[in-house]
Amino acid sequence: MTRAVYRDRFDEIEPLLGRVEKPSRYIDHEWGTASKAEASLRCCLIYPDVYEVGLPNQGIAILYRILNAQEGISCERGYLPWVDMADEMRAAGVPLLSLEGAAPVASFDIVGFHIPHEMAATNYLEALDLADIPLHASDRGEDDPIVIAGGPSVYNPEPLAPFIDAFLIGEGEESIVEVCRAHERLRDAGASREEILRGLARVSGTYVPALYEVRHGEGATEHGYTVPRAGEDVPARVLKRVVADFGATDALTQSIVPYAQLVHDRLSIEVLRGCARGCRFCQAGITYRPVRERTPDQVVSAVARGLAETGYDEVSLTSLSTTDHSRCRQILRRLNRGLEGTGASVSIPSQRLDSFGVDMALEVAGDKKGGLTFAPEAGSQRLRDVINKNVTEEDLDRAAKAAFEAGWNRMKLYFMMGLPGETDEDVVAIARLADHVLELGRSVVPRARRGSISVSVSVSVFIPKSHTPFQWCAQLDYDEVRRRQKLLVSSVENRAVRVHYHDASTSLIEAVLSRMGRDAAPLIEGAWRRGQRFDAWSEQFSLERWEEAAAELGLDLIKIAHTPYELDARLPWEHVSPGVSAGFLKREYRRALEGKTTADCTFTSCTGCGICQALFVDNVLVGDRA
Amino acid sequence: MTPSSPAQPLEQTLFRLRVRYAKRGRLAYLGHLEVIHTIDRAIRRAGLPFAVTQGFSPHMRVGFSSALPVGTSSSCEWFDLFLTELVPAPEALERLKRATAADLAPDQAGYVEVRRLALTAEIGRIGYRVELLAAPGVAADAPAISSALEEVRAAGAIPYRRGKKEKVLDLDRSLAAAAVAQAGAAVVLDLDTRADNDGSLRPEILIAALDRSLRGSDEPIVSTGIQDLAAFERYRVERTFQGIEDDAGALTDPLGAPGPTCGEVVIAS
Repeated sequence: MTRAVYRDRFDEIEPLLGRVEKPSRYIDHEWGTASKAEASLRCCLIYPDVYEVGLPNQGIAILYRILNAQEGISCERGYLPWVDMADEMRAAGVPLLSLEGAAPVASFDIVGFHIPHEMAATNYLEALDLADIPLHASDRGEDDPIVIAGGPSVYNPEPLAPFIDAFLIGEGEESIVEVCRAHERLRDAGASREEILRGLARVSGTYVPALYEVRHGEGATEHGYTVPRAGEDVPARVLKRVVADFGATDALTQSIVPYAQLVHDRLSIEVLRGCARGCRFCQAGITYRPVRERTPDQVVSAVARGLAETGYDEVSLTSLSTTDHSRCRQILRRLNRGLEGTGASVSIPSQRLDSFGVDMALEVAGDKKGGLTFAPEAGSQRLRDVINKNVTEEDLDRAAKAAFEAGWNRMKLYFMMGLPGETDEDVVAIARLADHVLELGRSVVPRARRGSISVSVSVSVFIPKSHTPFQWCAQLDYDEVRRRQKLLVSSVENRAVRVHYHDASTSLIEAVLSRMGRDAAPLIEGAWRRGQRFDAWSEQFSLERWEEAAAELGLDLIKIAHTPYELDARLPWEHVSPGVSAGFLKREYRRALEGKTTADCTFTSCTGCGICQALFVDNVLVGDRA
Repeated sequence: MTPSSPAQPLEQTLFRLRVRYAKRGRLAYLGHLEVIHTIDRAIRRAGLPFAVTQGFSPHMRVGFSSALPVGTSSSCEWFDLFLTELVPAPEALERLKRATAADLAPDQAGYVEVRRLALTAEIGRIGYRVELLAAPGVAADAPAISSALEEVRAAGAIPYRRGKKEKVLDLDRSLAAAAVAQAGAAVVLDLDTRADNDGSLRPEILIAALDRSLRGSDEPIVSTGIQDLAAFERYRVERTFQGIEDDAGALTDPLGAPGPTCGEVVIAS
């Protein structure tokens, strides 16, 4: 088989555009694209969902800009065609095409998948199949692209390991360039595919699954553990990459302005990276450490430049916890002054649950006060201490009171169900809290507004994630989730409190894919072969197909999700690491059981997670946090 | 008035810049809202001193000519942009061009009276050029299409469905003239149509009616954007002029140039 030819094949998809919804998903030619007609190395970065979901992704935007700034490297984008277009393309015999060049994805040197979450699993197979690239890395030949993957959800890579040639663990700003250059050098030297993969494995932070094998027994869970194959000179534990000098990177990472109106249709500026609040269920809270803030000057100038270059009329200051930025108030004030009279506005993605959070929300709200969102995560103080959500009933009261007094009428509260140690009392406490916030709102606003006060409660199901203090925990039993959801709904007393909860069956599959090892790969493939794709879209998700695939393999999905792991067991993901020490996670787990909280190291002193020491990095704050 | 809300400029201090732009190539597949949205971004990138509406949710003061369906291209789309400062029209045009994708590029701009009617109210005549490629085995050359057109016109109206609503396209009122010509394998159909408050002619509906007539079929017509037709393998629609008709029946383009100014439409039925 020879390499697919890089050439524009838009004329083959054009006749299909009239038959599918939202043809603008497939037409490219957006403002700000940066790929090159001539290049010595071509890379196509693919987001495993439709255009409008993938386009706002900041990770791909960052890497796109960095790669296209490199001499001789051209980076294009790809998205997964929606089911109507995918079916039309298969019927017409058109392979998956890149967006900019409308060239076959299989003609690129490197195809890179973004891994946003577990529920995109079947979409990688759908994309590879549409692209006519062998699904299994072991079946790929010399002329097939090297398939790499990276993103927030690589910290248990095993379920996808057979499909991916190399995972880039951690922040990709530097490592993706190193991987591309290593590939280019080896390819030009005439190296074989195997030699190229060995070369990529020498780039720090790269995990090449083919050079490792899964072993069982020796105190491992039933899903095994992964070690280097005999004779392979690769690290036993692949440590994530970190951009040590985050402040030296350009804060303006976005360049492309889509035609379609997206849900997040705005400029995004990442004002800080990392969060050390230490919520024990949160994977991002571990994997994005250390905490690094940009200076107010850098943020303000990037916003001005970005709005002028893109023409957006809204900028979102993104991070895991924007209101924790030590200069948050100053940044917002400077931006508000600068944008006065332009019709452009600033937004922050979520609010810290205290009166400072409401203060900051007020800075950006202007006259528009729709809803305000808070995440207490658990209903009772006892359970909030278990998960280390360092928020008290008084914080919540003060925040809610301040928000209602400032003019907000709608409050949205996020919770999780099935957290370790949750009892019926904790579930009922969610209802009590929601009722309490509603009554508080009604008591502080003028009579005329009382009828407008509403509270909505959104409850997801706890999913144990790798590299968190709860990584050993089981997911709450499927039927029990449904019983507790009913208990919650029946416990709410006030009709102005609306309760939404996540589908238990989607959460079951997410837990299975989060907890299994390489043995999940045939399950994913089986579900995909039965027609499963776009699992993150509730109308496309089918538990039956997953159950059929599991039955064929003799897997019991419910048992997999609901069996806790021993604290000293070897885990399926311990060969990749965000740098956190095993001792810290175990200590945090024990403290959780005792209901003891742990402080945030950006407000106090080091709490010993071990990441700074393992990666030779430090928290970088541009002021004192309060 | 608080110091943070700047005084709204009086109507007479505003300037109304009228701009003609194209919609072609791949960008013909943009929907109307996507075009509006894209031009909004381009105006901001061009750094023009646009006026902003007052109120709860301030937005740019800009008005567009009537919506063009997904898949339809055009050489003569228009928007009116209200500015708070006078920027010489050639300079404004140049700045817009630099900030816009080539397939939506503006090519004419001039100032018009601030209090004029909206573009959609002024424009009463719209021309389309339709290119039809017969499906294999279907006899749909110029004479066949001419007689199909005669048949459809004779009926006077085309019933169709849009969503759950039963509608009727009144051809007697909306179709002023049409010309059919063979151009290689394709047939070119030039349409001169009337648009007013009661509606306008959507070429897709007429093409679907031609398809039914050619096949002798009475399959109902559904307005769903791009039509999937049995008689035609492919069709393309381009808007070729948009004109303002005065009481005496004289036609000018929205910037006052006489007659149809874009495309070369020879109207003859």
